Amino acid sequence: MSDGQLKAYYVYSPWLRIFHWLMVMSIVVLFFTGLYIGNPFFIGSQGLEPTYAFSERLSMETVRFIHFAAAFILVCAFVLRVYGFVVNKGDRLLPRFWTKQHWAWTMDIMLHYMLLRASHKPYLRNPLARMSYLGVYFLIGIEAITGFTMYVMVDPKSIWGQSFSLVNSLLINEYYVHLIHHYVAWLIIIFAVVHIYMAVRADFMEREGEISSMFSGVKFLAHQPVDLGEIATEEDSLVRYWDNIARDSRPHSG
Amino acid sequence: MQTNNSLWELFQKRGLSRRSFLKTCAMITGLLGLSPLKCTEVVAAAEEKNLPVVIWLHGHECTGCDESFLRSQTPLASDVILNMISVEYDDCLSAAAGEPFEQHFKEIIEKYAGQYILAVEGGVPLAENGIYCMVGGRPFVTVLKEAAAGAAAIVEYGSCSAWGGIQSAKPNPTNTVAVSQIVGGTTIVKVPGCPPIPEVMTAVIMHFALFGQLPPLDTSGRPKQFYGNRIHDTCYRRPFFDSGMFAERFDDAGAKAGWCLYKVGCRGPATYNSCGNMRWWNGLSYPIQSGHGCIGCSNNGFWDNDQFYERLPNIPISATIANADTIGAVATGVAVAGVVAHGALSVVEKYKRQRQSKPEEERRP
Amino acid sequence: MSVKRVVIDPVSRIEGHLRLEIKVDESSGKVEDALSSGTAWRGIELIVQGRDPRDAWAFVQRICGVCTTVHALASLRAVEDALGIEIPKNANYIRNIMAATQNAQDHLIHFYHLHALDWVSPLEALKADPASTVELQNAVLEKYRLPLSGPVGLAFDAYPKEFPKATTLYFKTVQQKVGQIVASGQLGIFASHWWDHQDYKLLAPEVHLMAIAHYLNLLDRQRELVGAHVIFGGKNPHPHYIVGGMPCSISFSDMNASVNSERLAVVDASISLGINLINYFYLPDLLAIGDIYVKKGYTDGGGLAKERVLGYGDFPDEPYNGIANGDFHKKLLLRSNGVVENFGQGLASAVFYNLEGRDYADPAILAEGVEHSWYSYPQGKSNFHPWDGITEAQYTGPKEGNKDSWIYLDEAGKYSWLKTPKWRGKSAEVGPLARYIIIYTKVKKGIIEPTWAEKMVVDQVESVSRVLSLPPENWLLSTVGRSVVRGLEAQLHAYINKYYFAKLVKNIRSGDTAVASTEKWEPSSWPKEAQGVGLHEAPRGALGHWVVIKNAKIANYQAIVPTTWNACPRDSQAGYGAYEASMIDTKVKVADQPLEILKAIHAFDPCVACATHLYDAAGNEVGMVDTDPYAIVKGGGR
Repeated sequence: MSDGQLKAYYVYSPWLRIFHWLMVMSIVVLFFTGLYIGNPFFIGSQGLEPTYAFSERLSMETVRFIHFAAAFILVCAFVLRVYGFVVNKGDRLLPRFWTKQHWAWTMDIMLHYMLLRASHKPYLRNPLARMSYLGVYFLIGIEAITGFTMYVMVDPKSIWGQSFSLVNSLLINEYYVHLIHHYVAWLIIIFAVVHIYMAVRADFMEREGEISSMFSGVKFLAHQPVDLGEIATEEDSLVRYWDNIARDSRPHSG
Repeated sequence: MQTNNSLWELFQKRGLSRRSFLKTCAMITGLLGLSPLKCTEVVAAAEEKNLPVVIWLHGHECTGCDESFLRSQTPLASDVILNMISVEYDDCLSAAAGEPFEQHFKEIIEKYAGQYILAVEGGVPLAENGIYCMVGGRPFVTVLKEAAAGAAAIVEYGSCSAWGGIQSAKPNPTNTVAVSQIVGGTTIVKVPGCPPIPEVMTAVIMHFALFGQLPPLDTSGRPKQFYGNRIHDTCYRRPFFDSGMFAERFDDAGAKAGWCLYKVGCRGPATYNSCGNMRWWNGLSYPIQSGHGCIGCSNNGFWDNDQFYERLPNIPISATIANADTIGAVATGVAVAGVVAHGALSVVEKYKRQRQSKPEEERRP
Repeated sequence: MSVKRVVIDPVSRIEGHLRLEIKVDESSGKVEDALSSGTAWRGIELIVQGRDPRDAWAFVQRICGVCTTVHALASLRAVEDALGIEIPKNANYIRNIMAATQNAQDHLIHFYHLHALDWVSPLEALKADPASTVELQNAVLEKYRLPLSGPVGLAFDAYPKEFPKATTLYFKTVQQKVGQIVASGQLGIFASHWWDHQDYKLLAPEVHLMAIAHYLNLLDRQRELVGAHVIFGGKNPHPHYIVGGMPCSISFSDMNASVNSERLAVVDASISLGINLINYFYLPDLLAIGDIYVKKGYTDGGGLAKERVLGYGDFPDEPYNGIANGDFHKKLLLRSNGVVENFGQGLASAVFYNLEGRDYADPAILAEGVEHSWYSYPQGKSNFHPWDGITEAQYTGPKEGNKDSWIYLDEAGKYSWLKTPKWRGKSAEVGPLARYIIIYTKVKKGIIEPTWAEKMVVDQVESVSRVLSLPPENWLLSTVGRSVVRGLEAQLHAYINKYYFAKLVKNIRSGDTAVASTEKWEPSSWPKEAQGVGLHEAPRGALGHWVVIKNAKIANYQAIVPTTWNACPRDSQAGYGAYEASMIDTKVKVADQPLEILKAIHAFDPCVACATHLYDAAGNEVGMVDTDPYAIVKGGGR
């Protein structure tokens, strides 16, 4: 598979990487606290006897506080994502729907994932993944809007309350806001499962440093990636630096 | 909105003397068959400003809103209908019926055009030209449009009027819609609820009587003072929610202790109404205090937010019933199983490829 | 001599949308023909299909907000019958209190605020002398009080809290206010009525003033009668229930329970107030006016009640384990279940037919026709058993006018959204009068050994007969009789309320605080298919709900409601419905001002939204039914 000439490409800025891990942590927290809020004490003796919090640590208030805190962290973390987008070409992962190339590459990667094509073109970030990121941001956006609607309506007179009350009207009533918030949370978790698998698989199958890239920001490819122009540049000094290290250290590079 | 002129004001406007006014009053006293001693009362009445005229129409409804209105303690129903407003047309309370009643309706909407308040109870069925609700031999929708044309303001009393109500729940056999979907061009006050709290219904009129204007409305057209907060945020059982103390079933120890009804389906967290702070019967109780979760009766389309005893509605999948969490967990399980299978196949593929010779690599660009 | 056709549409002071048309012989005042048409329907049974049976009560409760609660009760009983749920004792007592409260309050508000203005006029009241009105009030309380009582186990009411105010100044002040309203030219709810009708002269001005004063007084007091609904059900109208019992947990050791001693005190005060208002206002006013009318020969309007009345019975004294299995009818306090024919010819010739248990599932007993309803049956058939029921809409419009602008409806053709329910092929009247006739007949003929409540029914009827100096069949079977019996029933229910309150307290004292049976709460504990029937004697008469549950969802839902029995269109086989028969049996003095017709119809306390919610808009047959007799629930229109 490799011709021994693995080359390092600097893709992700530290901003994006910090954002990514903040997002991972907050989504995990949000998901489990959210399940708890939707159905308190869903683990255990449900439906048999009245439930009560044994201690303050498990009170609805605390769990909700954690949920809200995580929600604010998640939303604020997007600042890093946007900053990374501005300062680093490698963070600009928006799929280029308007290009023919994008769709050709999508077809290529899809056939590969469907195990119909043994290998695929070398990508820094494959177009299917890039589309799924956009999709998950969209889902997070829905969660944020519906979540904040429920959150701010404690004070309906505030400017936030007045703005977000329109969401209630738009979605008929607030119960639907609850429902949508709940269902979309599960969609995000399903994305996470597939996303983690794809990363592990890519690491195993192609050894391009898929997982480590989210720590280091660098990916290793044997061939020149076709989307190089869109995402990263070889000339970057950091890339050369990583290139050298990689050449020295990576055991399979020989 | 302007209030109507008194008889004395009309006399003044036309430059008629006080003397002729008193003479007219004496004549009215005679006509009514009253003793001449009563003349001073007639004068007092004729000097008073007229009350705002209200026309109250009934569409597809159950008259529960009328009943609720009559249950108001402050202000009392009699004070409202005899001293704050003049209810000139109301199927439920008016003495008259039939032809003279319909004639009176026509006279009122002409005489007070642009001045009267139109209160509507009930949804508006539109299917087959509205023949599923006929009033005086005409479709209700026709009567409504006629009355709405000259209304200074429209008050939608109850969820049927404000949102369409129960008859508009799926599959909405009569194609019933809210009043505001049919008429417009004037201020519409929504007073939803099934029925609304009695004192909320009368307070809309009380506000008008006190301040001469309609109460401030939110973006949906509901009076802010009564529909601003969620029941959940004003519920006396909220501390139990915050502390994580829940009734799991009706009449269990938690229910007896008055803990939160969130887990038996209470819609308080999504419902905007005054049940939590004002309560019913001047603070006597409300559904949650009586041990039953809120069913969200002031929400748009709440009938289709059933089942009322589930936190999240069950979704019928063939013969089984599952809620969002079950479906989510199953879908996630399927996703995990899917990726594991895909992973296994991928490894097999890779192994196969490695065993094959180099030429395969050349296929890569 | 000419026959004039008069239309009354809308009929006001009722629930729902009702149209009446009569043909009056102007010279004799005889009503040659009359039709009653329900002019609206909403399709609620269709809407509950596919939903959770535990939610059904909330949906069908919204059939009617005046007789709020009655459809919820019938629905709960139907679902519990289907699922085999027996509710705890406390829940049974509480539901009985809710039902009795509803009946007492509904009857009272009906008499004063929906019916009184047919008898008394605010304009006549202006001519009264306040001082003489005080004398009249005193005389009425002396002569027309009905000093009957049920068992009052717990009597905390030290003295009557609400008593008619009989001072000159009071009546003077009320008269002044009425005078001001009239003088202002803004008559409001009193506008444009036939106040000049000669019948308003039948009563002295003082009677008018007294009644108008009570109209106002009770307009503000009636709200306090429903305390039990607000405590046990959280609100009124439309209090809350649960399948399996009541949601209002009882506890005296928890700090926040829905029902505790303070809450019970509210219920007790409300029940006692009900007894006071009925004993000191409602019944004396009603009997005083009724006596004058009867003395002047106004005993017409009896109609169908003379021929046939029907009831289902109510107030299970103790929890029962089913309705269709007959247990319900074994435990009733008021066994008004059955049919009585020919009461008009006196008690001796009256014939009683029983109606219990499986009878309610028997298609041979209940059927419906659509001869004059806006539906069609295939192959020219005029009659179908309910399980064969087909609802094929056939809106034909009126005889004169357009489909959306009527002049006259077509009495020879189709003219109502109501079908014609039949008992063994015949029409029957339901309501308080029907219940009283049935119980009176059953007790008098020795068919049943009376409970205290049934004995009170007989005592009431006999007491009034003494006051009016007429045998029961001579005054009962009339418009006045219908109204008087409603008042008697209000008194009876006020004491039933007290009775069940005492039973509730006694049972709690024994240590039982359970209000809900939740073993069969989860759908997993239900049979895959089940059918049930729920019966209730609503203020307006016998009410039945039929439900089919499949896979934990409502597969079919039907209700046969009191006003459908009474307001239904005629049928060539079954005859006239009760409204039509009563109108035909009423004399109209002034054809253009058929006040007598309003009186006759209001005496039934029409509740048309109840009667006309039934049909499927598209006219499709609703749902699937198998061969079980419960298949009565089949089909759209009932």
